[in-house]
Amino acid sequence: MASLIHCPHCGVRPKEEFSIRGDASLVRPDPEASDEAWNDYVHIRSNPRGRYREHWQHGAGCRRWLVVERDTFTHEVFSVTDAAIVKREGSR
Amino acid sequence: MSRTYISRHPLDDLLPLEPGIRAVDHLDIPRSSAIVSVMAMDGEEASVTAGLAASGVVSIRFTGPGELLAVSQSETPESLHRNLSLLLAETAYIVDQSDGRVVFRLSGPNVRRLLAKGIATDLHPAMFEIGASSNVLCGHISVNLARTGENEFELIVMRSFAVALFDDLKVMGREFDLSAGFSVRV
Repeated sequence: MASLIHCPHCGVRPKEEFSIRGDASLVRPDPEASDEAWNDYVHIRSNPRGRYREHWQHGAGCRRWLVVERDTFTHEVFSVTDAAIVKREGSR
Repeated sequence: MSRTYISRHPLDDLLPLEPGIRAVDHLDIPRSSAIVSVMAMDGEEASVTAGLAASGVVSIRFTGPGELLAVSQSETPESLHRNLSLLLAETAYIVDQSDGRVVFRLSGPNVRRLLAKGIATDLHPAMFEIGASSNVLCGHISVNLARTGENEFELIVMRSFAVALFDDLKVMGREFDLSAGFSVRV
């Protein structure tokens, strides 16, 4: 696993300071959506070999939620962005 | 029914009342410090930082974006809280943390080697400058680390973790014959 994460607020930090929530690309379905759509959203996860976007929380540091884009195979980290910024840019 | 509460330092039972022989590397623990957390309102981060820097009386510790700790050794918790509330009334939320945090002051030539046993962050003088501060993981405990002098660091930790951190620091400092004691009151 990528062992050093470049937190946009705190600088380079070891992965032990973070906790990982999981896939950041999921979109919450409409409340009236089918059971199947909700089942997919809640339970079904892909396990890609390669690029992956995840929510990480810097619990021991700035306590902010971050979106980490990394490669699960080469352990390379492509980008780390504050999740609030990702959300703001996504809704624009 | 009225109750009397006695203010106790969490390390009262672990440290001698009288200061002992002070080694080159020393862990100094102030009996009381005034600490408040400052959380900037949305969009006011820059003006809060500027306002605190202009006031000049407190030392500022970075904890997160828009979130700071203000520490003062000279003021009482009540007066620090009152002063900052007046200063930043329209721009930030101020909450007193004095009883909830414990301050550890490490000084000496071997302090960086001592801290390297628990902290993975780069503390080289050129990377972590005097006045720099940040939340870091020390062992398994999250602390706010600040560099206050050439070879001086201050750790601010949650009160309930103080005993565990103190034990860790003692083990980390054994190699350097680290001494520990409460601050001598002036």
